[in-house]
Amino acid sequence: MLIETFKLTRKFGELTAVDNLDLTAEEGKILGFLGPNGAGKTTTMRMLAGLISPTSGYAVVDGIRPDKEPERVHEIIGILTEAPGFYNNLSARRNLEYFAGFYHLSDASAQIEKYLKLMGLWERRQDKVGTFSKGMKQRLALSRALIHKPKILFLDEPTSGLDPEVSQEVRGLIKNLSREGYTIILSTHNLSEAEQLCHRIAVIRTALVTLDTPANLRKRLFHHQTMIKLEEIDDNLIQVVSKLDYVNKHSREENTLLIELADPSKHQADLIKKIVEAGGRIIEVTDKKHSLEDIYLSLLNEEEKI
Amino acid sequence: MTKQRIFNILKKEWQVMFTELNSLMLVTVLPVIILAQGLLYVWLIEKFGGESMINSSFFQSVLRKISEVMSAVSNLEITEQLQVFLLSQFNFYLLLIPVMIAVSFATFSIVDEKQTHSLEALLATPVRTWELLLGKALSGAIPAIIVTWICGALLLLGVQVLGWGDLLTYFLNPAWFIILFLLTPAISILSFLLGVIGSARAKDSKSAQNLVVLIVLPVLALIGIQISGVVWFTTILTLVLALAVVVIDFFVLKVAVRLFSRESIIISWR
Repeated sequence: MLIETFKLTRKFGELTAVDNLDLTAEEGKILGFLGPNGAGKTTTMRMLAGLISPTSGYAVVDGIRPDKEPERVHEIIGILTEAPGFYNNLSARRNLEYFAGFYHLSDASAQIEKYLKLMGLWERRQDKVGTFSKGMKQRLALSRALIHKPKILFLDEPTSGLDPEVSQEVRGLIKNLSREGYTIILSTHNLSEAEQLCHRIAVIRTALVTLDTPANLRKRLFHHQTMIKLEEIDDNLIQVVSKLDYVNKHSREENTLLIELADPSKHQADLIKKIVEAGGRIIEVTDKKHSLEDIYLSLLNEEEKI
Repeated sequence: MTKQRIFNILKKEWQVMFTELNSLMLVTVLPVIILAQGLLYVWLIEKFGGESMINSSFFQSVLRKISEVMSAVSNLEITEQLQVFLLSQFNFYLLLIPVMIAVSFATFSIVDEKQTHSLEALLATPVRTWELLLGKALSGAIPAIIVTWICGALLLLGVQVLGWGDLLTYFLNPAWFIILFLLTPAISILSFLLGVIGSARAKDSKSAQNLVVLIVLPVLALIGIQISGVVWFTTILTLVLALAVVVIDFFVLKVAVRLFSRESIIISWR
């Protein structure tokens, strides 16, 4: 594991922002921090990045304790903050040169050129950053996080405040970075973004609610359901379905039957046969897929009940 | 790497500062006003004699004090004594230039980082706090020192042209060199560091700017002390004062590093 936390806790006076957090991040994968505003995502990220210290507990990032040796951690991380700031009177290129100047880089110019081109900013490299749009600044901030070839990237709400087109563009860039082997910690409260990008998701609400892959979270929280859309549903059909011993649960939503089977791979074909024999005219058979939003809300509801 | 980082900060700070009209005004207009005042006094006394001032009891008492520490002055004409007296005040009056420039650059430098949210990204680099503060301090202190030296040179030139023949020999004493080459750099760095500490803890740019006034006060006090004749800063006393400021510089740099808490900056700067 490239990142591990052990009972990581951070308090601000009486307020506990992060509570006994134990989590891991695998090398070369995207780990999403998902949670409502004020859940402690940014605070966790800042502790991992060695920007603030934990009140108790600790983290290990690539074998280094960020609270003990922040400068060493800073050598191997790149960070995109939620509100990335620049020196607006300096050019895009000069801004990157300045930040590159804090690392041992033999090829700073080449790196700057590479990322300005990759982010589509090469033509505007001599323009003052103050004249850039929000999307351009976000791409420039991503370049800044990457110029020193970090092992780990921390991205805090990377698409926050961007229009849908630019958001999609930034997500594409993040996917490409993941393919290149970067380990990425992505903080977001955008569920579809987390679903599109993350290999694993840590749902955080001060403490860790859960940590798993989106697919496993679905499996764990929701049983498989078969959705059968019919031309018409009558009482006879409902009776036939309810008498089948492998049907655990069933419900109806207009002309669609939602059926939970004991073993879908074994019983689905027989179920369809029985419905047809009972006179049902089937339009479509699909598996119900729960969105990350369903999972997320379900997890937070469960936590509230506890 | 440390040198490279400090130079990197210096270069960036200057580029940012000199794209700002306020900074350019500060390093040009303020020194010109202070310099012009000094030369104007010399010219006015040379031209009109300054009779009313010469005859005042205040001037007479201060003149006795100068004569005690600079015996040669008592042999001069009364107008010449007046010129020596007024120019002596300029030793300290010139210090307003490095103080004002350094403090203003400090507050500007920190407030700008606050307003543009650029500091969190900077603190996520391997730069150390003392490297950052020293880089910023030098970026404010160096222009302040250079501008003061230029003003000092121009003042000498002006005195030579506008004053009476030997005025320069009384004015150009060891205290003058100590003030220019030891006290000016030391007070520039001190002012910048105090400006950084104050603005790092200030809530907004207005309160940061108000600090400028507070840091200028000790220099005004020095001028007041000398002009009233309570204490006359001889060469030894000026040297002691300059060395004390150098010692204070090291102490304040340590305090600044401690007070410039990365955490509170990241957490509370919005």
